[in-house]
Amino acid sequence: MPGLTSSMFIGLSGLQAQQSALNVVGNNIANVNTPGYTREVAGMTSNPSQVQGQNYFGSGVSLDSVTSVRDKFLELQLTQATSAQAKYNTLSTGVSVVSSTLGDSTSSGLAAQIQSFFQGFQTLAANPGNSAALTSVVGNAQSMISSFQTNYSLLQQQQAAANQTVGTLVDQVNKLTSQIAQLNQQIVGSDTTGSNNAAVDQRTTLTNQLAQLVGINVIDGGTNGPYQITLDSGAATLVSGTSSFDLAAGGSPGSSTVTSTIVGLPNGGNVTGNITSGQLGAELTLGNTTYAGYESQLNTIATAITTNVNTLNAAGYAAGAAAATGTNFFSGSLAGGTLSVTAAVVGNPALNIATATTANAPGDNTQANAIANLQFATGLVAGITGNFSDAVGHLVSTVGIDSQNFQTQSTTQQNLVSALQTQRDQVSGVSLDEEATNMMQLQTGYQASAHFLNVINGLTAGLITQFGGTAS
Amino acid sequence: MSMRTPTTNQYNLSLLNLQNVQAQIAQNTQRLTSGNQITSPGDDPAGSASILDFQNSIQANTQFLQQASTANNLLQSAADAFTGAIDGANNLQVLAQQALSTPSTGATSMSSLAAQVGAIQNNLLSLANTQYQGVYVFAGAQTTTQPFTNSGLTYNNGTASGPSDYLNLYVSPTSKVTTNIPGDQAFGTGTGSDLFKAVNDLYNGLTANSQAAVQTASTELTSALNNLYQQQAVVGGRQAGLADLQSSISAINLSLQSAQSGLQTTNIAQTYTNLTSEQTAQQAILSTMAKTNTNNLFNYLT
Repeated sequence: MPGLTSSMFIGLSGLQAQQSALNVVGNNIANVNTPGYTREVAGMTSNPSQVQGQNYFGSGVSLDSVTSVRDKFLELQLTQATSAQAKYNTLSTGVSVVSSTLGDSTSSGLAAQIQSFFQGFQTLAANPGNSAALTSVVGNAQSMISSFQTNYSLLQQQQAAANQTVGTLVDQVNKLTSQIAQLNQQIVGSDTTGSNNAAVDQRTTLTNQLAQLVGINVIDGGTNGPYQITLDSGAATLVSGTSSFDLAAGGSPGSSTVTSTIVGLPNGGNVTGNITSGQLGAELTLGNTTYAGYESQLNTIATAITTNVNTLNAAGYAAGAAAATGTNFFSGSLAGGTLSVTAAVVGNPALNIATATTANAPGDNTQANAIANLQFATGLVAGITGNFSDAVGHLVSTVGIDSQNFQTQSTTQQNLVSALQTQRDQVSGVSLDEEATNMMQLQTGYQASAHFLNVINGLTAGLITQFGGTAS
Repeated sequence: MSMRTPTTNQYNLSLLNLQNVQAQIAQNTQRLTSGNQITSPGDDPAGSASILDFQNSIQANTQFLQQASTANNLLQSAADAFTGAIDGANNLQVLAQQALSTPSTGATSMSSLAAQVGAIQNNLLSLANTQYQGVYVFAGAQTTTQPFTNSGLTYNNGTASGPSDYLNLYVSPTSKVTTNIPGDQAFGTGTGSDLFKAVNDLYNGLTANSQAAVQTASTELTSALNNLYQQQAVVGGRQAGLADLQSSISAINLSLQSAQSGLQTTNIAQTYTNLTSEQTAQQAILSTMAKTNTNNLFNYLT
């Protein structure tokens, strides 16, 4: 039969186990709002029994583990969905910034400005050589150019911003990978039997942050194992064991590059094309492809207009002139930032704007009509079957479709992230009701153990008083 | 076993839903206040392109209406000149008939008739040199040069004439209207129905007191008058065509505007209904968040 002292130790083990478990509950409650925190459960087991005579007697309880309740598969899924969500969110924001300006369908929009320019020639055709009509043609041309340039420079500014953001994001990626490598070291180096829950939680949180920045692939090394992180395309390793490998940003607006600093990778470590997800992937896509595509469409339209108008203007005669103007209406190029109405045309429109196809015929408006009719000519813009307005319409619908597509994808991914987050929280999140219940349970257990100790203590005291009280 | 619903999860999901509803409220508010159903191309890419397309067509048609109106004004000034010229020519014919009907009129009367012819001649000359906005209407492409001069009343446009003697304005992408009648054609210069030659001959015949010459001039005058009527009919025909065109372009523009506004303008009733239901949802979420999210077991522990 076990002695009273042994019973006291059973009571003590109960007190200690309940108190430690309360500590775990307290920690869960304290971290109820900590992002990425995984709830912990205290694992209590009964101590091995001891044989006394014919019977096995229990020897109390001990708390032998504090385990995080996590579903690693869910966490990895969440990482990937986070990358995609961050990507589409960034793309959607990036396109919507330029879409309202490019898609302006009011009279100040590009399409209306192009039409006004050609309509200036229509008015001129009604009265060739009229100085007010000539001045208005030049004014309309300048408005159209400024509308082109506003749109174009907005895109260029966005490209510059994207390039700058790529640099910032790469810095953040490098910071995170180096922190994850350090956490790997803490987790691998811990020599206790349980895992280093706090470090694992932190690593999960940082990995999720990293996934927002760039698409990654995570290989989990198991309990107390390191995370091995590569780009989702596998093109470069970011974290391996306790080492991290930096990325470097380079290039210029419109051709931003990201290179891995690992020596010996193909293409000198240039992984720009391999980064397609996360904010970084989105910024690279926006700057190098999306905005560049819009710019190129704008430039194609501007070039088609200037080339065709220039040809007709140089070949035609100004009202009543004896020789062809030989002057281009427009000079420079949109892409080069130099597009303008030729100085001679601005300086002396009456001599340099062609309205006639014959010499010395001030009333001849054939060339003015021809230039005005360019607005209805189809097939002048490369890749577009319609006229100039159709080309602008095509650009607007391209921007609109991109914007709508990215918005839809972003919402879809947001829903997916939210669903995964809910699932993850259902497994790993802290429920205050649950903790309160546990707390009450443990409190009762603690009180009962204390009461038990009190009883044993009373018995022991009684024993001492009755049998040892005369030893004086 | 019931599903665990962790505390923060409730907050996060409620917040996400609240944000979604608020985003919709913001968009519908923008639709109502701006009056535009499509607030950015991403709302409806095909619709945005269509709106732009309608806008372009309307803008082009508006310009064509203006072109047609300019063409009409140019033709009207020619028509006015023809009306005046026909009056003048008729008066001349009356004078010629006077000279012919009373053989004993005598040299004095003849010279008084010649004086009247001279006055009408000057009047006809100024009609033939009609200008519209500083442009000589009957000068072909030489719009800055006076087409008829007093020196023998000859048509001046012999040097630089060509196909551009006809001036055209486009009144649709493919069709054009001729806005002038070259002076030689208008007044029959150099042909059998030359108005100014007839006037000249009449004047000379009267001055010379020659009834035979007056008779010849009268015949020429009849022929010239016929030509004027013909030219007046040509101008009138073109003007009628323009009027038809203007009314059909206006009608097309109206239907384009209505189609465009169908795409672009906010459906106020529908949007307002959506907004109201979203506001109800928002209030429901807010009140639910305020009530349920504060409840947990700790509230009841003492």
